[in-house]
Amino acid sequence: MTLVLQQLIIGLTNGMVFALIALGYTMVYGILELINFAHGDLFMLASFVALTLVGMLSIADLHGGALFGALLLVVAACALFSGGLNWTVDRVVYRRLRSAPKLAPLVSAIGVSFIFQNLGLFWGGLSMDVMGGGVAAAAPKAFPDLLPSDNLLGEGSALRITMKDVVVVLSSLAVMAGLFLLVRFTKLGKAMRATAQNPTAARLMGIDVDAVIGWTFAIGGALAGFAAVIYGLYINTIHYQMGYQNGLYAFTAAVLGGIGNIPGAVLGGLVIGVVRAFSDQAIGAEWQPAVLFSMLIVILVFRPQGLLGSTMREKV
Amino acid sequence: MRASHWLTISLAAVLVLGGCKKSAQAGSGGDPKTIVIVSSLPRTGSANAQTTTIVNGIRMAIEEAGGKVGDFTIKFEDWDDASAKKGDWDPEVEAANAEKAANNPDVMAYIGTYNSGAAKIAMPVLNKANLPMISPANTYTGLTKPGKGEPNEPQVYRPTGKITYFRVVPADDIQGPSAVKWMKQMGAKSVYILDDRNLYGKGLADTVEATAAADGLKVLGHEGIDPKAQEYKSLMAKIAALSPDFIYYGGTTQTNAGQLLKDMVAAGLKSKFMAPDGCYEDAFISAAGAEIANGRAHLTFGGVPPEKLTGKGAEFVKKYEERYKSKPEAYAVYGYVCAKVVLEAIAKAGKKDREAIRQAIAATEQKDGALGTWKFDANGDTSITLMSGNGVKDGKFDFITLLGN
Amino acid sequence: MDWRSLARRFLGFESVALAFLLLYPLAPFLDWMLESQQLPVRLDRQLVTIFIFAILALGLNLQVGTAGLLQLGIAAFFAIGAYTAGVLTVEKYPFQLGFWGALLFGPLVAGLAGAALGAPTLRLRGDYLALVTLGFGEVVRVVLINLESITDGPRGLNPIPAPWLPEWLVSTEIDPTGRRQVLVMYYLTLWILVALVVAFRTLERTRLGRSFVALREDELVSACMGLNPTRTKLIAFAVGAAIAGLAGVLYATNLTTTAEPNTYDFNYSIMVLCCLIIGGLGSLRGALLGSLVLIGFDNVISPLLTRLIQGEPKPGEVQSVFTTFSNWRWIIFGLALVLMMRFRPNGLWPASRSHPEPRA
Repeated sequence: MTLVLQQLIIGLTNGMVFALIALGYTMVYGILELINFAHGDLFMLASFVALTLVGMLSIADLHGGALFGALLLVVAACALFSGGLNWTVDRVVYRRLRSAPKLAPLVSAIGVSFIFQNLGLFWGGLSMDVMGGGVAAAAPKAFPDLLPSDNLLGEGSALRITMKDVVVVLSSLAVMAGLFLLVRFTKLGKAMRATAQNPTAARLMGIDVDAVIGWTFAIGGALAGFAAVIYGLYINTIHYQMGYQNGLYAFTAAVLGGIGNIPGAVLGGLVIGVVRAFSDQAIGAEWQPAVLFSMLIVILVFRPQGLLGSTMREKV
Repeated sequence: MRASHWLTISLAAVLVLGGCKKSAQAGSGGDPKTIVIVSSLPRTGSANAQTTTIVNGIRMAIEEAGGKVGDFTIKFEDWDDASAKKGDWDPEVEAANAEKAANNPDVMAYIGTYNSGAAKIAMPVLNKANLPMISPANTYTGLTKPGKGEPNEPQVYRPTGKITYFRVVPADDIQGPSAVKWMKQMGAKSVYILDDRNLYGKGLADTVEATAAADGLKVLGHEGIDPKAQEYKSLMAKIAALSPDFIYYGGTTQTNAGQLLKDMVAAGLKSKFMAPDGCYEDAFISAAGAEIANGRAHLTFGGVPPEKLTGKGAEFVKKYEERYKSKPEAYAVYGYVCAKVVLEAIAKAGKKDREAIRQAIAATEQKDGALGTWKFDANGDTSITLMSGNGVKDGKFDFITLLGN
Repeated sequence: MDWRSLARRFLGFESVALAFLLLYPLAPFLDWMLESQQLPVRLDRQLVTIFIFAILALGLNLQVGTAGLLQLGIAAFFAIGAYTAGVLTVEKYPFQLGFWGALLFGPLVAGLAGAALGAPTLRLRGDYLALVTLGFGEVVRVVLINLESITDGPRGLNPIPAPWLPEWLVSTEIDPTGRRQVLVMYYLTLWILVALVVAFRTLERTRLGRSFVALREDELVSACMGLNPTRTKLIAFAVGAAIAGLAGVLYATNLTTTAEPNTYDFNYSIMVLCCLIIGGLGSLRGALLGSLVLIGFDNVISPLLTRLIQGEPKPGEVQSVFTTFSNWRWIIFGLALVLMMRFRPNGLWPASRSHPEPRA
């Protein structure tokens, strides 16, 4: 029983991280119908920014309030970086392809993903202590263990809940709530929803569609930046190729939840996290991806619009 | 298109295909005084770090010789067997590399591959061309040793029956049992085995499992992991309930050994962690974090580690540090030794002839070289069966014991 | 049939025949170039790879370009073909049907797998289907790794024998250079590729071919006209999978091993899709051109460029991660993809009819 509870905690905490990345996917998809393959690699680059800042500001030596303040600073910087980068990529690459066939921006996104990966490789080669002194650029990098990982229930307890888990879950929930409020109640959010529903009509209503799309990329990117810091603090390893798997799972979460649907992406992320944990527990780690994706296929056969997606009538 | 056109084309096809019947011969090379040595290693993607040290080692050996052996000028070419689209070694590229080398009469030695899977593709091609191949990193047992892999191994890699493949690293059937022996020496009663489902890691983990069962070390479980996964917390939570004395991981730094160790500690496990030579590099310690690796990580490695070497070995370390401004990683010395073996064989053969050089390589006897004293056995394996056990202390590898077989 | 369509039909075959006639004598020529040391790369070998990739792209084109199904897991069917070939030919198993048996059964098994996957899932909308195919690709890869008793896990099944051909055509004595094998594979893959292109061309004028086009152009209208879209899609999906399986058989035969299951990962599927889109989705020549450009760039031009720019490091020189030119490979590859889409968003040589694309 303890073990079941333990796996549930692990699954949900992991799921939160997937959900944060999935949000950026689903927002862009909701508006552009573009599967942004570069999103996972954007997340990866943001994590390198985070690690670089942690090294430069010697954050590992700080405690208490100073540590908290420094982490906020890192979060802000990473969000700004990846939001800005995502916005720029849209401006330079995708915007010119708005009227192109739907799959053209997809290939561009794959191209951008390769470029980002290569930049991540170079970044890992910087001669800094946190990057391993630049000896092996391609090697995984340790992200310092900044949050306490003592068991909150006491070291004797079989169940482990740490400060890390609590911070990941609470801060992710706060950011998700913020995003939800933004999309639901602000003018920008309204413009986003309008553009997602029908770009042409939105333009006729006086909405600057390009600006709205730009903002969507910026916000989705900023979420990836936030996710990158959380990932670093929780998982403690970053690697220039980690965008692949994280992007894959985030895309999966976004589609599973009902693509374009924000609560759906969160739910999708959580489902993936929990399924992974229980598959490890019950079946064996080597079958994890197979279990995960078989379950997805089955879910989609019975719920073809995703978990929370609404059935859309085909437009004629 | 009329039917008669197709008839014409079909006829042409038969004619040209008939051309294949004439047995092709490797033409005689360009400059008779130039000998080319190539290496085929994954230079794009995750293995780049290790292959860079291997190539550094090779270059150093050739530079030491002044780029010449007797009258021959030695040219070295550093080939990539990875492709951008795969981001790792690519079977198509490895096959193309092997054939390219086989067909270039100037090429007298093929240093590679890094991955045992790639070796399986290159070996038969090079064997038919009678081109000696020396690997600095393949450890899959079936590549050389009869009766230890599939029933058709290793004959399937030697269509001509000659031994053209050599390796300077001890194979998994040496390293696996050494690991078990060491775990038992440290008083372990139980082990949980994990592997990365790659040829290297899986092969080694299987050997460890078989030996452990025979030697009375209790195997609590053997699982594969997804080496690209973000974390292994749920796996470690499951293992924590069994509290094994050791967790053995058949895998490398690149296949996430650091993360496994980290999650093992995070799950509150008090077990120790053992991994093979694929993790014996500074990158492993920096990936896991020094505090986590200290005292927990145990690594086996073929031969004596570079810093414990005396004579030539110590010299190699010193020269490498001067030359490349960094410490030599484990694989650097293998690359260096591969090149040394080839250069010495060329000197001994004294002529630009694959068969002569192949025989000279097979007869290699290194006395107090960078890896100590050894020779190749009848299968093309190194005679080194000595493994060393290393721990981590203060964020650095720390030699603990020798594990003879 | 008016003269215009007749002319188009004839022209279509003419271009195929022309390409064929150009490619036909290329292999012996390249072989001669190689023998006389004129070439730094093994071009005929790379052409075999490109042909196999093009066959794979043709299969995917049927699914994505013709049936409008966004498919992100073509590597799964490719792998099924390769492993069927492995199981049917290696010594370990009693079948030992040889290459020609594998060529028959590989596509069959892959096609059946395609039908089995397609039947329950093809009614899904665009990107949900994309996820299902992606998921299927991952499931197949993981199953191939873990079902070690059948697939030999990461070791792969080998050796896969070379195609049996009559002794008077191809001699059986050991060939030290491996060039004969490459030539055989060259002609084999070229013949199969051309046969497929001709078959597709012919298909376009049959009832099934027209229903494919109708489906691609407008699913709703074609359903109103009495076509059964689900059935038509299923046929396209299964046949596309079978062709991918055929490519898999050729791939494994060419390598003489199935290689490790990780070869057939998501990346591979994505690369085939890239080939298709870069060439021009929905057109046969697009699939061929895309494979030529992308694989040619990755396998041939990029290593050449690397050597050209990087040159020989001088003795004593310390290379850093930045100065090693091969480390720039992804940036160059990525930029190439971005720029090609920037300037040719419909592909290098798009279909003339209209812009086919999967619709949501």
